[in-house]
Amino acid sequence: MHTSSPRTAALSSFVSILLLGFCSCLTADEPKPTPANTISLQLSEPVPAQKFLNPPKFWISDVTDRSGNPQPMLVLKGRGGIFLDRQPTVILREAVEQSLKAAGLLATDANTADLTVRLYIFHFGLAEGSQLDFFGKVEFSAMVKNPKSGESAEVKAAGTSIAKRAVLKNNIQKNVQEDMQESLKDAVRNFLRGQALKDAVAALRKGDDVTPAATPQAYRFSSRGLKKEVVR
Amino acid sequence: MRISSWFLLLAMVALAPCVAAKDKNEQFKTVEAKHFTQAEGVELTPAFSDYFYAELREELKKAKLAHEVIGEGEAVDDADAPDSAIIVGTITEYKKGNVAKAVLIGFTAGWQSLKMDADVQRRSDQHNLCTTIHVHTRIDPRWNEKMMAKVAAREVVKGMKNGL
Repeated sequence: MHTSSPRTAALSSFVSILLLGFCSCLTADEPKPTPANTISLQLSEPVPAQKFLNPPKFWISDVTDRSGNPQPMLVLKGRGGIFLDRQPTVILREAVEQSLKAAGLLATDANTADLTVRLYIFHFGLAEGSQLDFFGKVEFSAMVKNPKSGESAEVKAAGTSIAKRAVLKNNIQKNVQEDMQESLKDAVRNFLRGQALKDAVAALRKGDDVTPAATPQAYRFSSRGLKKEVVR
Repeated sequence: MRISSWFLLLAMVALAPCVAAKDKNEQFKTVEAKHFTQAEGVELTPAFSDYFYAELREELKKAKLAHEVIGEGEAVDDADAPDSAIIVGTITEYKKGNVAKAVLIGFTAGWQSLKMDADVQRRSDQHNLCTTIHVHTRIDPRWNEKMMAKVAAREVVKGMKNGL
């Protein structure tokens, strides 16, 4: 027992040194955001919104990230990493507001808005593709609420884009940026031009002139098959 | 100088039908691809469905069959509806394949297999614009299933081009 203790100590110290080395290797691989590996996402031009019979004024009250991604600003982990310059919540809010403003559908403040919108992000970034390309995906849900009646409706929107892979790091960064911008534009377009938003606005503004309902209702609209269900 | 200008003129005359053909390809104002439904017994992930949908839209853009490829559930003006199309489809069969068979036997034995049916409908009245497109894709089981989505999307658009 006495003879084995120095050997055990030596073995344990060797193992601990190995573990330390392994951990330091792992931390060295963790990419860090630098100006060189950070991309900026914004719409090149506002997305044209659909025409409403009685155009309402929207107000984006809040944007929440529900993706469960611990590093929402990290788009690509390999090759030194690619980071976003801002949080996805900020990028999405800016994109939707920019398009609403261009269409004259953005209220100046929450008090003057006919409908308030809460956005929930479910996916913002690259998704698993065929390994031959970059598959950008932006998926969010909007809770549109009429502040007067208290009624609300859920509208889902998604945008996808596929870009070519690249070998050089600069090209990878360029392709990822283009891919993400395209999927963001597609998602905003899917929301603003969607039949689901049209139906939600029609349902929520139907009772604007009459007295508000005693019990607020909630509608759910989906772009897939336009299912409408009333949630009490 | 004179000869070169003649060559230029000839080249322009030769290329003119190609340019015209490109514009002629656009048969619809808008085309909308929907997520394909899965028949009973087909076990494919929702990620596959999303990727196939994205790939189908990319292929439609490349094929230039429509002026605009719109997302699922987007509204279209009533005036444009008769000149717009929707692609709906069902994945009817998916076989995972067998790596051991593919390695030991070879000659495409044990490959993954995907079968789907797609319909191109006119937006205004849901009238079928061509016969149902049947697509059967087979790839090596060691390849990612998304590769199959890529091939299948290309085949659907090819079938659509031939059928219209």
